[in-house]
Amino acid sequence: MKQTLVTGNEAAAWGARLVRPNYIPTFPITPQTECIETLARWVSDGELPGTYFDRIESEHSVMSAAVGAAAVGARVFTATSSQGLLLMHEVLYIAAGMRLPIVMATISRGLSAPVTLWSDHNDFLDQRDSGWLMFHAENNQEVLDMMLQAYRIAEDPRVLLPAMVNMDGYVLSFTDEPITIPSTEMVEEFLPKYIPKHTITKDRPVTVGPPVLDEYTIFRAQNHVAARNALEVMEEVMDDFHRIFGRRYHLVDEFMLDDAELVLVTQGSMSTTAKAAIMEMREGEGIKVGLLRLRVIRPWPAKAIAAALKNVKAVAVIDRNLAPGRGGIMLPEIVETLYNLDKRPLVSSFVVGLGGNPQTEHKVKEITRKLIDDLETGRPRVEWNDLDRNYMEGL
Amino acid sequence: MQGFKSIRNLPEQDYFTGGSSACAGCGPSLGLKLALKVLGPETIIVNASGCMTLLPLYPNTPLKSSWIHNAIENASSTAAGARHGLDMLGNEDMNVVVYAGDGATYDIGFASLSAAATKNERIIYICYNNQSFGNTGFQWSTATPYGSETKTTPRGKNNPIGTTVVNKNMLKIMGAHRVYAATASLAYPVDFLNKLNRAKERDGFSYIELLGSCTAGWNYDPRMTIRISKLAVRCGMWPLYEIENGVLTLSKDFSELKRIDEFLKLQGRYRALPQDGVDRLQVLVNEHWGELKEYNGHRYV
Repeated sequence: MKQTLVTGNEAAAWGARLVRPNYIPTFPITPQTECIETLARWVSDGELPGTYFDRIESEHSVMSAAVGAAAVGARVFTATSSQGLLLMHEVLYIAAGMRLPIVMATISRGLSAPVTLWSDHNDFLDQRDSGWLMFHAENNQEVLDMMLQAYRIAEDPRVLLPAMVNMDGYVLSFTDEPITIPSTEMVEEFLPKYIPKHTITKDRPVTVGPPVLDEYTIFRAQNHVAARNALEVMEEVMDDFHRIFGRRYHLVDEFMLDDAELVLVTQGSMSTTAKAAIMEMREGEGIKVGLLRLRVIRPWPAKAIAAALKNVKAVAVIDRNLAPGRGGIMLPEIVETLYNLDKRPLVSSFVVGLGGNPQTEHKVKEITRKLIDDLETGRPRVEWNDLDRNYMEGL
Repeated sequence: MQGFKSIRNLPEQDYFTGGSSACAGCGPSLGLKLALKVLGPETIIVNASGCMTLLPLYPNTPLKSSWIHNAIENASSTAAGARHGLDMLGNEDMNVVVYAGDGATYDIGFASLSAAATKNERIIYICYNNQSFGNTGFQWSTATPYGSETKTTPRGKNNPIGTTVVNKNMLKIMGAHRVYAATASLAYPVDFLNKLNRAKERDGFSYIELLGSCTAGWNYDPRMTIRISKLAVRCGMWPLYEIENGVLTLSKDFSELKRIDEFLKLQGRYRALPQDGVDRLQVLVNEHWGELKEYNGHRYV
């Protein structure tokens, strides 16, 4: 175990190194490159015996190679971003349908056109129906910790689904943060050697990915059940993680919710900024505001979210993404989760931070004040917090 | 390895058994049946979406080997992943063999194939070339020969020729990847399986392209599969040759080719090709044969 300064990309690479994967297929894309470069260096230096580091000609082929290796029982890691993640999209569904516990770090970056290198969550959320388990980290320590948890959950025989661990590009991927890197012994205790349940071996021919006729619905239902099972497995795994590593995680991250009347619902690195703003607002202005961070996106932890929000007065869903013609992607998910509560909070929507537009404490406070206004008027709002309202109306 | 001398020497054991859903007279199915005689059950067939994808239909399969179907454009990368997975887990002696159509090889899967070949991955790639996107009902691919009618190059008032584009010279391209590249025919199974054995011995990538005659798309009597395959070789529409280390060797040399007419007239896809189209196709065939003859035994790429 050691304390060190690493970027988010390096934290993901450390996660991969500690789980001892057999195969790492890669294709470079900003801002993921440093992650795979780090692994390439370690492999060249002989620090990852038992791992084959592969350079592939596209992200589509990266995920295809990952499927091939996982189908013969290998433990696989890869990483990508943005356009690369979209290029993989087709094969993501296939990996999930084949029940292959591949783990991938995704480093969020806004989508083209126009081109941006900076972060928002459209790339990640575009995969939300793919059947993958989807985790979203807030900081670099959580990137590493989630990687370890992701393998344990994905490989659990009750689950057997691929998993992606997301971090925000630049803000985490290229920022040094002090983190604790666990010892190999601790990781080995937490994550045993992968023994695949259904795999091709020499003595046992297996058919992977055939067509079906009437059974299609049965296979889809099995995918759904496996993903729902994962919620229970996650809680077990997080308990065990706490026992071995001493760090406590839950399905959702609740911050100052005990007495909160107002809640900001966030994802990813902006949560850290929002938490700082919340502490200031509570201390300086006595506003009873708290935060709920979505750290598990799929499967959707509906019970945990509803339990956290059932007694609050108003919720601001802060979406760092946009479904054009619809709005924030997480808004309807939250609204649906709260709809059948006895007492529903007011829900306002804020689309923020597209293409890396910085989310400052000032902006978080602005959103909180708007939410207070909405509570007073009783009218929820749908707003682009980074754009002047007059500008939007003039469009 | 001692090569097979005659069809009587071929292994009797089959790993492609009854119960396949393929058409009567299907060339590609026969190709896989022959290939598995040499490859054996400790083989993973990596299939690209196409007709052959329907061989295993849950919960049945006619195959006694393993099978991975991923998607249409990624058989090579899937196979490369499987290869490295097997190698890292100590299963180096299993065969990884792609069995993919020409649409998945020449067109949508070309980037994936080129990368795997460039990296000399230890994979045998068999392209069963039915000169079309066959499973979707016979549409044009870059392997479709000049003059062939397809559903997306139908003959009509404004286009009497049908396919006006000359097909991609895939073998030359694969030869330039410095891998073992060869053509094969169902009418010459001894040659095909000797080439497959050659590929099996190699510590690297091999590409074998089998003319996979398609009774439905080419529109011919299913009894004629072998006859058509043989004519294709004899008339130069499908010359048999191999390229290794850039050197070309004709596997079947003929002092004189048959004219293409007999080959064409057995198939509905060429039936209404006007004479100027036939003449142009004959010129293309002669040019290609001339090139192969010129380079036979010499550095080709």
